[in-house]
Amino acid sequence: MATPAALPPLPFNPSRVRSYVLRLPLFTRLVLLAIILFWLFELQTVWSVVQWGSLIPEEIGIGTMYRLNTYPFIHVGFFHAFLNLLAVTPLLERFEAEHGTLTAVALFFGPLSTFPAGLYILFEKFALHRNTAVTGASVWVFLLLGSEAIRTFKSNPYFSLGPYKIPTWTSPLFACGLVSILVPNTSLLGHLCAIFVGYLLGLGYLKVLVPPEWGLRWVEGKLNLLGRLPHYVSVDQKTYGRYGVLPTTNAGGERATPMSYLGSSQRLASIRKLRSNPHFLFVHLPHILSFICIVAGVVWLLLLPLNDYSRQTYISENALLPGQVHAYFSGSEQHIFRGYKKELEAILTSQTPEGQESRSDEYTPVVSDKIQSILRAAGLKVATQKYEYTSSGITHQGQNVYAIIQAPRGDATEAIVLVAAWKTVDDELNLNGVSLALTLAGYFKRWSLWSKDIIFLFPPDSKSGTQAWIDAYHDMQPAFVQPLPLKSGALQGGLVIEYPFDHRFESLHILYDGVNGQLPNLDLFNTAVSIAGGQMGIGSNLQEMWDHDDSYERRLQTILRGMVKQGFGYATGAHSSFMPYHIDAITLQPKGEGWQDEMALGRTIEGLCRSLNNLLEHLHQSFFFYLLMQTNRFVSIGTYLPSAMLIAVNFTIMAIALWLRTGYYAGSKQSIVTPSASADEKKEAYVETTKSDASTAQPAIKPDTNSIRERHLALPLTLVVSLHLLGLIPLYIFNNISHQYYPSATYASIVLNAVLPVVLAASLTHGLTTPREPHQYLLIKSFSLLVLGLFLSTLATLNFSLSFMIGLLCTPLSFVNRIDPQTTSGPVRYVLSVLGLAFLNVLSPPIVLLGACWYFGVDVETVLTQAAFGWDVWGMWTQVVVWCVWWPAWVIGCALLGFSLF
Amino acid sequence: MGLDRRKAAVFGGAFALRLLLLVLFPSLPDLLTGRVEVSTPVTSFKRLQEGLFLYTRNVSPYDGGVFHQAPLLLPIFSLLPTSQAFLFPTVVLYSLIDLLNANALVRISESGWAVSGRSYSATRKHIRWDGVTVAAWYLFNPFTIATCLGRSTAVFTSTGILYAISSAVTGKAFNSMLALGFASYLSIYPALLFIPLMLLCYDQRAQTAKSCPSTAVFALQHLAIFLLSIVGLLGVSSLLIGDFKAFMSATYGFQLLVPDLTPNVGLWWYFFIEIFDSFREFFLGVFWLHLASYMGGLTIRLRRQPLFVLSSLLGIFAVFKPYPSISDASLYFALLPLYRHLFPLMRYTFFAVSALLYATLLGPAFYHLWIYAGSGNANFFYAITLVWSLGLSILLADTIFAALRDEWEHDNPGVRGKDVKQV
Repeated sequence: MATPAALPPLPFNPSRVRSYVLRLPLFTRLVLLAIILFWLFELQTVWSVVQWGSLIPEEIGIGTMYRLNTYPFIHVGFFHAFLNLLAVTPLLERFEAEHGTLTAVALFFGPLSTFPAGLYILFEKFALHRNTAVTGASVWVFLLLGSEAIRTFKSNPYFSLGPYKIPTWTSPLFACGLVSILVPNTSLLGHLCAIFVGYLLGLGYLKVLVPPEWGLRWVEGKLNLLGRLPHYVSVDQKTYGRYGVLPTTNAGGERATPMSYLGSSQRLASIRKLRSNPHFLFVHLPHILSFICIVAGVVWLLLLPLNDYSRQTYISENALLPGQVHAYFSGSEQHIFRGYKKELEAILTSQTPEGQESRSDEYTPVVSDKIQSILRAAGLKVATQKYEYTSSGITHQGQNVYAIIQAPRGDATEAIVLVAAWKTVDDELNLNGVSLALTLAGYFKRWSLWSKDIIFLFPPDSKSGTQAWIDAYHDMQPAFVQPLPLKSGALQGGLVIEYPFDHRFESLHILYDGVNGQLPNLDLFNTAVSIAGGQMGIGSNLQEMWDHDDSYERRLQTILRGMVKQGFGYATGAHSSFMPYHIDAITLQPKGEGWQDEMALGRTIEGLCRSLNNLLEHLHQSFFFYLLMQTNRFVSIGTYLPSAMLIAVNFTIMAIALWLRTGYYAGSKQSIVTPSASADEKKEAYVETTKSDASTAQPAIKPDTNSIRERHLALPLTLVVSLHLLGLIPLYIFNNISHQYYPSATYASIVLNAVLPVVLAASLTHGLTTPREPHQYLLIKSFSLLVLGLFLSTLATLNFSLSFMIGLLCTPLSFVNRIDPQTTSGPVRYVLSVLGLAFLNVLSPPIVLLGACWYFGVDVETVLTQAAFGWDVWGMWTQVVVWCVWWPAWVIGCALLGFSLF
Repeated sequence: MGLDRRKAAVFGGAFALRLLLLVLFPSLPDLLTGRVEVSTPVTSFKRLQEGLFLYTRNVSPYDGGVFHQAPLLLPIFSLLPTSQAFLFPTVVLYSLIDLLNANALVRISESGWAVSGRSYSATRKHIRWDGVTVAAWYLFNPFTIATCLGRSTAVFTSTGILYAISSAVTGKAFNSMLALGFASYLSIYPALLFIPLMLLCYDQRAQTAKSCPSTAVFALQHLAIFLLSIVGLLGVSSLLIGDFKAFMSATYGFQLLVPDLTPNVGLWWYFFIEIFDSFREFFLGVFWLHLASYMGGLTIRLRRQPLFVLSSLLGIFAVFKPYPSISDASLYFALLPLYRHLFPLMRYTFFAVSALLYATLLGPAFYHLWIYAGSGNANFFYAITLVWSLGLSILLADTIFAALRDEWEHDNPGVRGKDVKQV
């Protein structure tokens, strides 16, 4: 151990301060506490404690007599309170230790407060006709100084200062003078009154006020105060000396004494106490710490919507200049828009067979040709791309049409994308959106100010089309997606236009979540909000919060909705596919019934394109990790990350504690039967064999140096690693079977999940011939939680919300243990473990999935098909986290409970 | 002796696992080859491909400043079919090299030099793993597998070093020097292992032979063999390349002067990006001196355990080398199981392993945030490389402490089980 045998003695011995503080008697403690409490109370602004309790001569009446007693406890500020505390503590402690607690109570709540106060009021009010309020414990300081001075005077009457002899009883007067010179706002008169009463006390004139000793003794004896109250000083034990009667808390023994030189605070004492209580240190403390971490993590998240923790959004990239340009998209462009819309509508009616209304909005080759011809007529370069994806037995295919405006002032190294999908995210026909994009294409082509190429992309749907296009744009496309015949420069930003209805709209709903919880740069979102709101007067919404009144609940709801979307990691719109390529993109959805028409949307998009056109480099200034709670408020990663990290850290703490427990501390069952006194020695024996102390009182059980007590790591390591690998099987199954089997696969997995841990536990208990030690269960849990904490903290940096959600769902695993058959009797054990298993099964991945589906009112098959589609097409990683991180940890948690059945 | 079944199972399993990974994830080798944690500028397989392309077209492979590896690798790899079209033969070659390394480890372990030497024998020497277990730790280490599939040429250096050690402990001092010469020829730093390896050879000779050879003569002999082997290899290389000066500056000059600051798991790149150019030479000297200085100190202090000095130096190289990768760490982790008898004396294993695990997971995540997502920056990744180095350093310091403690207990049998204080 790193206990230094001898440190150079400090001039100021910290251990003495510690023991002094620890041995303060009861009344002194209470007074100190009261002073601190009143000071803390004064911090609030509603009710002035000083006004209430200080000694104001004018205010003293029959009803306000309490002031005569309260004023010593009340201070006007931190320094006032602090200095008085420092001064009064030794004096009061001395007094109490000498006279007993009861006497001190009687005197200090009685005459020693009221007499100086009365004297002061007498002088102040009637002699000087002033009204200066006094407050603070300095009255007691000077009072006690005065009485001490008289006692000194009795034994040692004079200071000799050269030829002069100064009587020692004057020392408080000097002190009083010095204080009133040095410290501003002190009441000289008040102090003098106090010193006067102190002299009286010292000279013994106040003895009549002291309660008779026999009475105090009787009270003390009847109430057994000495036995009941800690740090109580008895009246009649004063003969034993000042400290003799005080209980010592220093029960650590001699061994630890050298440690006390290392530090000065009580913390050290409490740590030493912990060292002597290994059961608490290794079994209870980690649970407490883990629990605190979880609670702190959740509370942290709940604090985020408050103004103190969130920030107003701002445009960080100066080059964007949102809303600084005039938008010219108006007037005659509306006629062009209507013309395009009519043409497309005509095609739609013509492709509807007679008497058949369904699927009239299909994206047919005719539509594609029409779009291409319009774009060509506007003078753009047009190209198409065919793609075909198969996922869960469903084939998604289509043809992207896109066209490029080459920048008149650029060199084709950078580009902006405008996307208008034929079908919106909600599978509605996006006729207005497509017409608007076509109009904008013709309109933008006529402008000469573009310094970046503008690409207009018309995918047939919002799910797969953009993904195929963007993959091919970066030459990362799979075999069944055609490469792009026509390309431009690096994409700087993407805007998706949706306008699926015919009436006018009220506000813009902005979608910003990307695949795997990646977000676009906050500047892009801010620019959109600022252009829509500032220039066009269009309000913005996010996360489908239509009536956001900026209250705490709404903000929290917005954050939580954002977190759920981010956590699931699916593509929320056509813009989501851009995010993995580090292209910032958002979707603009008009919502509501209002007076904004398609031209306002067009002007907003024009403004956004102009802003993006200004960019000198890729958006990088603002945040990539944020939680939005309102269109103009957010929290950044530095503020919110600790909440997920705390949740992840709780697992790590538990893992480390379990590891330490297996090495240092033999386990709970022995310590229960051994008295706590020998726990210390026993711990010593296990600290580590090499360190086992020769002076330990039990040399018989001291292990031989060569007989190493080691952890058996093979089984726990194998189990944890193989379960994590086993997670690949459900991952494969849930991503590759046909969609109609998903519900049955989910139910099958629920059953398997319920059975697997028990089977695992049974086979490990009965199947293996090697004798297993109890610490292996702890090691299994330790490794499992270590891996879980590891993955979750890594995940928190990539996808905060997912890490938070999984972490929260896994929290019971920190507290699940194998119930020891030696400490718990059979039936109780069975009941407990079965209950625990039932509870854990409720939190199993497939049941949570079912619960979520039921809550959101969606079909399991749809969700799983979507998830498989995400895995196959978007590169979504949520399932990997579920099956390879969450599920193995969950199975081990259940298996630990299962072990207690056998 | 017959075929050792366990050994065959472990070797066969490791080989099958590598092929299985290749079959299941055909894109894995290319992914790993591109990772900065696996491939450094001096070991990258991609750069080897480039050099090979130039070499097979009769252009100097060092033209263009991409290829910085020893020239003898080129004729070996030109015998293989191109890895673009045929992934299989290269992976099989690398897997076989892993098996060779494992075989060397088995021999080192079976010689028992890790637990008892000429003038020293560990107090807990009955706690040990046999050769096959040590080989299994090496072969199934994920870092080894990643290096193998990433086809980093550092494995050839590892082979050289491991064969040098295994020859030394089996008494083939000549072979040992040749192997070390080969390793030093491939990448300079193994030359720093010369002195401890020579001491190991000397101890082996002194233990088996009746009469001790003269120390000076022995040292000079082996130095000569070592130098001659390097000279011979360089001679063959210059025959192969022609332009001796260009190849020297492109390979050894590159490794010594560290001009390429591509991120890696080490500590040099970030430092030399940040340093002012005028101080570059100075700090280059300081860094190399620092790396070399461990050799002297450890060799003197742990004179009685030369094999342990070799292992610890390999660990130190994995931290402080100019272009370290996980293959260096995997070589160190390969030798650690030889010291199973020291594990009970180690104190911070769990924390070191946790730090390494955290670094293993967070490193790629932060690299992704920096390079691909664009939402992080270089400091993220560098912080994690610091954690990685910290984990390795804790492990190193802990094993060296354990070795010293063991030696101390060996010298003072009375103090076994007593508390010690590390100062």
